[in-house]
Amino acid sequence: MSQQDPSTINGGIVVAMTGKDCVAIACDLRLGSQSLGVANNFEKIHQYGKTFIGFTGLATDTLTLSAELKYQHNLYKLKENRGIQPEIFANLISHKLYEKRFGPYFSTPVVAGLSDETGEPYVAGFDCIGCIDAARDFIVSGTASDQLFGMCEALYEPNLEADDLFETISQALLNAADRDAISGWGAAVYMITKEKVTKTYLKSRQD
Amino acid sequence: MVAQYGREPIQHQFNPYSDNGGTLLGIAGEDFAILASDTRQSVDYSINTRLSHKIKVITPDLSSEHKNKKLVGTNKSILFGTNGFSADGDALTEDFEENYKFYTSSQNKKIEPGFEFLNNGNTTEESSMTMQSAARNVQHILYGKRFFPYYVHTIIAGLDEEGKGCVYSFDPVGSYEREQCRVGGAGASLIMPFLDNQVNFKNQYIPGTNSTERRKIEYLTLEECLKLVKDAFTSVTERHITVGDGLEIFIINKEGVRLEYHALKKD
Amino acid sequence: MLSNIADSLSQSNNILQKEANGLHFQNQKELLSNQKFNKLAPSIAMAPVSNPAEFLRAHTDDSKNPDCAIKIAHGTTTLAFRFQGGIVVAVDSRATAGQWIASQTVNKVIRINPFLLGTLAGGAADCQYWETWLGTQCRLYELKNKERISVAAASKILSDLTYNYKGAGLSMGTMVCGYTKKEGPSIYYVDSDGTRLKGDLFCVGSGQTFAYGVLDSNYKWDLTVEEALYLGKRSILAAAHRDAYSGGSINLYHVTENGWIYHGNHDVDKIFWEIKEKEKSFNNVIG
Repeated sequence: MSQQDPSTINGGIVVAMTGKDCVAIACDLRLGSQSLGVANNFEKIHQYGKTFIGFTGLATDTLTLSAELKYQHNLYKLKENRGIQPEIFANLISHKLYEKRFGPYFSTPVVAGLSDETGEPYVAGFDCIGCIDAARDFIVSGTASDQLFGMCEALYEPNLEADDLFETISQALLNAADRDAISGWGAAVYMITKEKVTKTYLKSRQD
Repeated sequence: MVAQYGREPIQHQFNPYSDNGGTLLGIAGEDFAILASDTRQSVDYSINTRLSHKIKVITPDLSSEHKNKKLVGTNKSILFGTNGFSADGDALTEDFEENYKFYTSSQNKKIEPGFEFLNNGNTTEESSMTMQSAARNVQHILYGKRFFPYYVHTIIAGLDEEGKGCVYSFDPVGSYEREQCRVGGAGASLIMPFLDNQVNFKNQYIPGTNSTERRKIEYLTLEECLKLVKDAFTSVTERHITVGDGLEIFIINKEGVRLEYHALKKD
Repeated sequence: MLSNIADSLSQSNNILQKEANGLHFQNQKELLSNQKFNKLAPSIAMAPVSNPAEFLRAHTDDSKNPDCAIKIAHGTTTLAFRFQGGIVVAVDSRATAGQWIASQTVNKVIRINPFLLGTLAGGAADCQYWETWLGTQCRLYELKNKERISVAAASKILSDLTYNYKGAGLSMGTMVCGYTKKEGPSIYYVDSDGTRLKGDLFCVGSGQTFAYGVLDSNYKWDLTVEEALYLGKRSILAAAHRDAYSGGSINLYHVTENGWIYHGNHDVDKIFWEIKEKEKSFNNVIG
């Protein structure tokens, strides 16, 4: 029998969207071992200063990578004496991923944040060896990425206000997860505006 | 480690299948049904044609009134859509059409007393096939190739015996189910969650009830359905390489079958 | 050849012959020579290769070949158990092709006749098709013998069929549940290997272990009908929760001496929260 694809053992999805002076990033909460659901509190989004990163893929690599990025983020702050911009962070991640070009992390991160200087929303995605996809609209990642692409492409419109963006990203995530056997089991949504960051847990199907 | 080639002999296998891409979508309304597909036919990264037809209207004879109204079928017609490997799809469609002709013409034959059972107890002159019977027949055709399957996802649409819209969908070997909506083919994973959300109102709650009261399911109007279909196809055209060029929408209601064509992006 | 197996087990030819002989029918010859009427089961085509079973596996078995072109719907939790008040049958309604959820509304209980139920696990088409076929065989038996077929005989028709097709690539795990006067309530497990087992309690499918966990720890012969139905539902719910390939909704049946009674379709999304609230269970889930 052929090897199981490492990026679909644990399951999980992340999606990020830009709005008018706001940006949103959301993830599901399932961690599984193939068909077996193991945990329903596995948050895939991590905060680094004002930048948020969601990781999907192989859970163990996800953890290693997020710790490595925390270290790199701390180094940056000590050296530069200021917070990191989302766009800079995206380049940093790209470098970290490419360092493992021939033995990659089985993880595809998503970056979301607001630029400190311009206040512009920024989202970016990567492949597992660091190619940056800096989209103007939305980024999807994980085992239900097809489903997310369909939902986002159909529901998304540019320059949404925070409330509308919240509804859009929530519906995109929930309905995509409901068509994937190994995603779901709860969801968390971060809404990032200049004034504040809110985190909301969504009620979702438990099967 | 660099991969090493030539360690094992290269194995060749008989492969009679190819994937011609494309997407097929069916929605059932209260008194109508829609079956739509894109018109691109591709293999790997090449486009064979930008105007192929994945849906065939299997229909009784059209009256002049139908023809005057430019209708392509009657309210008894069956919209027959296949998606996947188009040669298998065409073969399946032909098989079904033959059965349909046999069935509907034998319905017209005079039945000897005592042999109504051959005809579902139906001795009327009316020449048609119910959607229920059509679906069961398609199952038998597909299962007839259980060990050498047709590589197709089949969706049929029409009006049931009460005049309600109905959609049946089939897997490649004939398991089937009547549904409110279904997408098949390349874009299925992109569109299906969208339809769950917009047709069956999945994950929609009444505002202010703190996610305790769900939005009640109600039939969509034809206009709403057509808008969803067009939205779905323009969306999937953006993100899937085998979907595009044109969109054929067949609409069946009590008047008959109408065909709409819309252009999709050709890139 | 495999294609003749269903025919050899099918009694339709004889029946049709008798029908035609017994009556004066002008087109008797036409009726009997017409293939469409002559066969209840179709002949099944095979790939023109030396090993058709291997061909089928290469193209349709996603556990052997994840990139296979034809993905056949799989995945299930089903259960049936005998108790003081008859039989409870409970099933989920999810169909998956790989990790893709193809449907959340599959009907996994096939009503063979008013006294017989068949459950569906494994290949959706195999179960749907052969259990419908089993229905026709049971009806023919009834017409011939002027009495209802026993559960033992019905399940034997199915297991004979699956045994004959052994190795060809069928995939089914099913429970034939029913009631007859002489047998009482009985359950037979039949699968595509040709296994046929009589028993009091079975769970079948990808989520079977989760269902057994709940069922075994709460099962008693003396359960009331209400308790038994709830236990069936609760066991499937446990499987729907933990097993990725089970879920959707739960269909419930009770088989009595007067035939089966349908006890409704229960959406997992709704009853999960209700049962969690009522039982104070599922404490791993927040909310």
